[in-house]
Amino acid sequence: MQIDVRGEMCPYPAMKAKEALKKLPDGDRLELVTDHAPALSTVPWEGAKLGFLSEIASKAPGEWVITLEKASAPIDQKQVLTAIAARAAELAPDEA
Amino acid sequence: MQAGATTVTASPRLPANTFTIAGALLFIVVAAVFTGQKDFELGAFWLIGIAFGVIVQRSRLCFAGAFRDLIMSGDGRLMRAIILGLAVTTLGFGMLMARFVPDPSFNVLPPGAHIQPVGFATVAGGVMFGIGMVLAGGCVSGTLWRMGEGYLNSWVAMIGILFGLWGASKTWNWWYDIDISKREATWLPSDLGLTASILLTLGVLAVAYVAILWWELRSPRLPEPKAKPAPPAFTLREHLRNSWNVVFGGRGWTYTAGALALAVLSIVAYNLQSPLGVTGGLALWADNAAQVANAGGLPLKGADLLAGCSSAAAGAEWLTIRTTTMTGVVMGAFTASVLSGEFKVRFSRNAARYPQLLVGGAAMGYASVLAVGCTIGAFFSSIPSLAVAGWLYAIALAAGAFIGVQVIRRLP
Repeated sequence: MQIDVRGEMCPYPAMKAKEALKKLPDGDRLELVTDHAPALSTVPWEGAKLGFLSEIASKAPGEWVITLEKASAPIDQKQVLTAIAARAAELAPDEA
Repeated sequence: MQAGATTVTASPRLPANTFTIAGALLFIVVAAVFTGQKDFELGAFWLIGIAFGVIVQRSRLCFAGAFRDLIMSGDGRLMRAIILGLAVTTLGFGMLMARFVPDPSFNVLPPGAHIQPVGFATVAGGVMFGIGMVLAGGCVSGTLWRMGEGYLNSWVAMIGILFGLWGASKTWNWWYDIDISKREATWLPSDLGLTASILLTLGVLAVAYVAILWWELRSPRLPEPKAKPAPPAFTLREHLRNSWNVVFGGRGWTYTAGALALAVLSIVAYNLQSPLGVTGGLALWADNAAQVANAGGLPLKGADLLAGCSSAAAGAEWLTIRTTTMTGVVMGAFTASVLSGEFKVRFSRNAARYPQLLVGGAAMGYASVLAVGCTIGAFFSSIPSLAVAGWLYAIALAAGAFIGVQVIRRLP
């Protein structure tokens, strides 16, 4: 699913992302196009609360695509979160 | 020729629009020299405004967001950064005020400090400002820096702000007679002494920090991904490129870096004359414009006794330290956004947004006259001035933001 919130300022990108994530079909991922830099911080936050991992790519000057993908279902949340954090740290240097 | 074909360059390096950058930098320098020749402080506050704009553009330090996100999504990252900034500013202002007023028990207020009267107008102003900033998508300073980044939404909000400021100047006397004139500008050190006041302020900030962190951790979420490290540098060119990217590259600075930089800037500004503030200048310009139609409301009754971000300055003056600061914020944010390749003219496609921006802006403009300042002048500069008003205003802002969040949840 793709939503375009260009032109919208806070809090709308995060609000629209939350709405979209709630009705996102299983296994699908959300691509959100924004030109509001603060959304790069608020959208991943809302996603993280709903169990989605975010990836940010710059699309054009002042435009970004945030891709939100469901993280595998947590059983022991703390353990899973720690594992994800460790993996993120491991992967970080390779991110181009 | 193929129509509509656009080439998009990903992750811009040194920006392509060299002409714009050269023009912006030249304008900043020429304006600094021109205003600085008139009066050193005018030029200095122009550059302080530029730095203000660069800092908030790069760190996206949004004061409206700090209150709103805490309430709306349990996100306290912005507010915690601002609390750290407040703590540093408190230490800096404390040192300066100790020099200005060696013995605070004489009930002499430190010159320049933002110590507003504490009364009903503070609360009314805070609540109204809080609602307005949520509706307008940014506080007054936030509106200024987004104007520089190319948000037409913010230009619309600014029209609202100017009307609100003008309306408040016209109705000021009523508020002044009924409330403001009867209130006292309470400065903590007058009763507690300077050291105890500083320690008390730092203590309350620390408690607030932990409380917000606790609030934040109530909602479980995934950890934030780490930022990608800079590529290794061996040559001078590579080192310079990495340094450039730290400032103008990537996704910007952390909130904490921005808040600490703003704290240092506010201390520098106070050392020169007065802490950071933006609404006083806007109020002055709004009134100067209204005077063309013989509808001005300045000077405000009793304003010469008000400490803080007021439009107390003499008559139809266009250049004051407040007006150079506020124009500097727009120019600084514009320059930083061009340098980082983030400048873009953008506007909301939802027509319902525009009346919302106008109303929110007008509420903020009106409120910032009542409370003698905005999130900057009456909050970020007031709490470190050890004024009681700053705390009361902060609580009222939070209450207003809460109401504002309920309102926007019901709007399209």
